[in-house]
Amino acid sequence: MMEKFKKNKFLVFVVLIYLVLFITSTEKAVLSVKNSGYYIKEMLMIMPVVFLLTSLIEAWVPKKVIMENLGDESGLKGPLISILFGSVSAGPIYAAFPVCKTLLKKGASISNIVVILSAWAVIKVPMLANEAKFLSPKFMATRWILTTISILIMGYIISKVVKREDIPMEGEEIEEDTILIKEEYCIGCGICEKLASEYFRVENKKAIVINNNIGNGVENKVQKAKEKCPANAIQIGTVKRTKEKHSAKTIKEV
Amino acid sequence: MDIFTKGLWLITGSWFIVSMFKDKERTLNAMKMSKKMMGNMLGQIIGILFLIGLILTFIPPHVIKEYLGGSNVFLATIISALVGSITLIPAFVAFPLVGSIVDMGASIVPAVAFLTTLTMVGFVTFNLERQEFGKEFAIARNGLSFVFAILIALVMGVIL
Repeated sequence: MMEKFKKNKFLVFVVLIYLVLFITSTEKAVLSVKNSGYYIKEMLMIMPVVFLLTSLIEAWVPKKVIMENLGDESGLKGPLISILFGSVSAGPIYAAFPVCKTLLKKGASISNIVVILSAWAVIKVPMLANEAKFLSPKFMATRWILTTISILIMGYIISKVVKREDIPMEGEEIEEDTILIKEEYCIGCGICEKLASEYFRVENKKAIVINNNIGNGVENKVQKAKEKCPANAIQIGTVKRTKEKHSAKTIKEV
Repeated sequence: MDIFTKGLWLITGSWFIVSMFKDKERTLNAMKMSKKMMGNMLGQIIGILFLIGLILTFIPPHVIKEYLGGSNVFLATIISALVGSITLIPAFVAFPLVGSIVDMGASIVPAVAFLTTLTMVGFVTFNLERQEFGKEFAIARNGLSFVFAILIALVMGVIL
């Protein structure tokens, strides 16, 4: 119960405000619920499809494709695809979070993620039409050009300031310097066994960890196996990611 | 539902059907992963939606209009950018609102600052962004978006 509260601190906080408001000014509380109606409808229309989309990206789009098109070495192609992808997508910015998180996990660069997120939020084709109608086509076009330039610059700056390690990933639940294999992803190819036989062995078509203690010298080997894993199934816990986690959350040796 | 949402449903829906036929287990496994990730976000998102309703009650569109049309352009721009960061009003409300005050002869600088922070800076979604992308990322993206929104507004004030 407490755990649930802790996890949903934000929701509990909002509910508390509503309770207080309901007692002090019932009218305002009712109005607020009514105001939320539109956004709830919007969420219900978009989140199921976002859920499906992230699942499908997770299942079918290979890491390599994402890295080539949205990764650090994607060149000019990356931002271009990001702007386009963000612009044609639908829904509010929070709908972009799961999609971007999945892309990031599959190797998209931070700068391109910033571009997708920002374009998703700001550049919407139906919105542009609305803007041209109520303000003017010239107003809309100028703001569009300036916004696009700003988004690209922001992507560049943020990729210099924020490091990949700063972003919480699934790996945060693994104890430091231990290896975890996501069994459902492992395809039993045996590459990890070939690269670091002291640590991995393939049994029954699934890789297992035979030694979970990464020393400093051989860590590179494991790191390499992690990078080469075609299914992206190997995770390594690091010190930084676990700093705020309590021991109850760490995963036992595989 | 606008055409893009429909399009997204259509494309994703067909992809999903193909995916289920091609490899059911793989699809369901990926869905399990997604479910876990989205499950972590859901509580936050519901909180966000109700928080927006609250904010709209206390900062309704007609109050926003007053801020946007302030006589001191510099002050009005900063306030408009802040109000835009905090609120989240739908585009079909925001554009007519901004259009009407620009038609009344107000400066476009606060108007642009408001429109840009409205979508680019997310006060209500900040907590979720921090949870998913880390403190550094969320601060950098929202902070820079705020600064760039004001820059965009100033440049538009000069060239239009």
